[in-house]
Amino acid sequence: MTSTRLSSDTRASRGSQPWRAIAMVLLTISTFGPFVILVVQSTSESWRWPSLLPDALTLAAWRGVLGGTIGRAAFMSTLLALATAITAVCVAMPIGRSLAQLRGASRHVAAALVFLPVAAPPIALGAGLQIATLWLGVGGTAAGVWLAHSVPAIGYVALFFLGVFSARSDSDSDAARSHGATRWQTWRFVLLPSLRGPIAEALAIAFLISWAQVALTLVVGGGAVRALPIEVLSLVRAGQDREAAVGALLLIVPAVAALAALRVGVRRTDALPG
Amino acid sequence: MHRRSPLPLLLAALVALPVLFGVAYAALAVLGLTGAGATGELDWTRATALLTDRTTWRGVSWSLYVATVSTAIATAAAAGVALLFPRRTRTDRIARSLATLPLPVPHLVAAATALFVLGQSGLLARLLFFAGVINEPGAMPPLVYDRAGVGLIVALAWKELPFLAVVGIAMRAGVSRDLEDAARTLGATPAYVARRVVWPLLWRGLLPAVIATFIFAFGSFESAVLLAPVDPAPLPVLTMERFADPSLARRSDAYGLALIALVVGALAVAVHEWTRARWGALVK
Repeated sequence: MTSTRLSSDTRASRGSQPWRAIAMVLLTISTFGPFVILVVQSTSESWRWPSLLPDALTLAAWRGVLGGTIGRAAFMSTLLALATAITAVCVAMPIGRSLAQLRGASRHVAAALVFLPVAAPPIALGAGLQIATLWLGVGGTAAGVWLAHSVPAIGYVALFFLGVFSARSDSDSDAARSHGATRWQTWRFVLLPSLRGPIAEALAIAFLISWAQVALTLVVGGGAVRALPIEVLSLVRAGQDREAAVGALLLIVPAVAALAALRVGVRRTDALPG
Repeated sequence: MHRRSPLPLLLAALVALPVLFGVAYAALAVLGLTGAGATGELDWTRATALLTDRTTWRGVSWSLYVATVSTAIATAAAAGVALLFPRRTRTDRIARSLATLPLPVPHLVAAATALFVLGQSGLLARLLFFAGVINEPGAMPPLVYDRAGVGLIVALAWKELPFLAVVGIAMRAGVSRDLEDAARTLGATPAYVARRVVWPLLWRGLLPAVIATFIFAFGSFESAVLLAPVDPAPLPVLTMERFADPSLARRSDAYGLALIALVVGALAVAVHEWTRARWGALVK
């Protein structure tokens, strides 16, 4: 039986070999190709048709980042993303814990409610948020954009913590409470120290949600808040490919850092085999 | 034993409040009860005009078409990665990493890169020139701003693949080896096991993620504004155009379009929760 199965496995493996090779080539091209193209585009001085490579290279666009519009936009995006990340984690973590206590139909209703700001198309979400921020007197300002970014970020992070707290036992916090700890002390000395990893991951998720927002920033910021994605969008539409490529690469930098954090998290939860 | 406090549901409602507020405001604005140009009296004229406007439904159906095709391509590719590279070998690990590496790349970056590659004088056109297929940029078939939405579909599928691959790989790893062994012991071939044992479990586990990516593709503004044609204008672009319309009366159309997008999103959330409740237990 064992030898039959081994030979069958080997045959199956051989049968899929060409497909595996083709898939590997396609994956390599689709993963690294776009980054190589952006790097080349960002350093091209001129790139006339039909040359496959730029006629000359320059670092002018990169040198212009500091002190230029891209640099200012990156700074604005960093501030917005940091503020959004901190807000989302502070608000969504207790909500996620509270939702994890639900069972049955109410749990599904709660999860669907929290999923709404995540699932709502950003431009549709922006329609209501634009009015809300105008009423609050922060329409067209960075503060308004920060509030707007926080809405989907809180949804994402609440769902994230719903998963985290659903997988955890409450025994530690129950023990602390039974020994006389207050709610605050339980959070401060029991829950938070054991949640350092998930909190870091949640901060990264919320940071990236804000970092990549285009539609919400445009609708609520009214074009006055020049975050990096808005600047990159303008550059691409204006045909300033070299500067746009620099901005696009800058948009990827924190994303890659967050991926590293995600990898650590995924490995810890054994979501990936091997 | 669990508490029956209404607090968790209230907190969940609080998170959803901005969306619910947006829905209420948009509904009132479309009916002429609030917003720019509102008379304060119930007026169905704008809502009727919007719902009978061919542009609206062409935008909705085109956005649905692009989201469906791009999600289908990304799902097939993600399932392919999960089924072709399930082992703990170095090659399989590298393949899985390659598939998931672009996960956090923003939609905007994917769309901008697609423009550089697929544009009329982009990298693909240059490669085709050197291969002798075309002799000038004008001979390149339009892959961006095209009615078939090729460039947009490619950009969205590329962006969706890593997320679906992460879920697909995790699902494939979670399929019990015992089930496969039992089928093999009963004489099933590896292909039959993949088709009748692994694939049904993988598909059910992937479905909530597939619905989520469909929603994101449907609502992606930045990809559409860079790669979609002017006619038919995709729903997110059409909505933004109406927001910026100099005519105050037409601005209320933006709220109507936002409502349509929210209805599609809400339907997808309902399907998402239904599939989670129905099949969640099966894939654990």
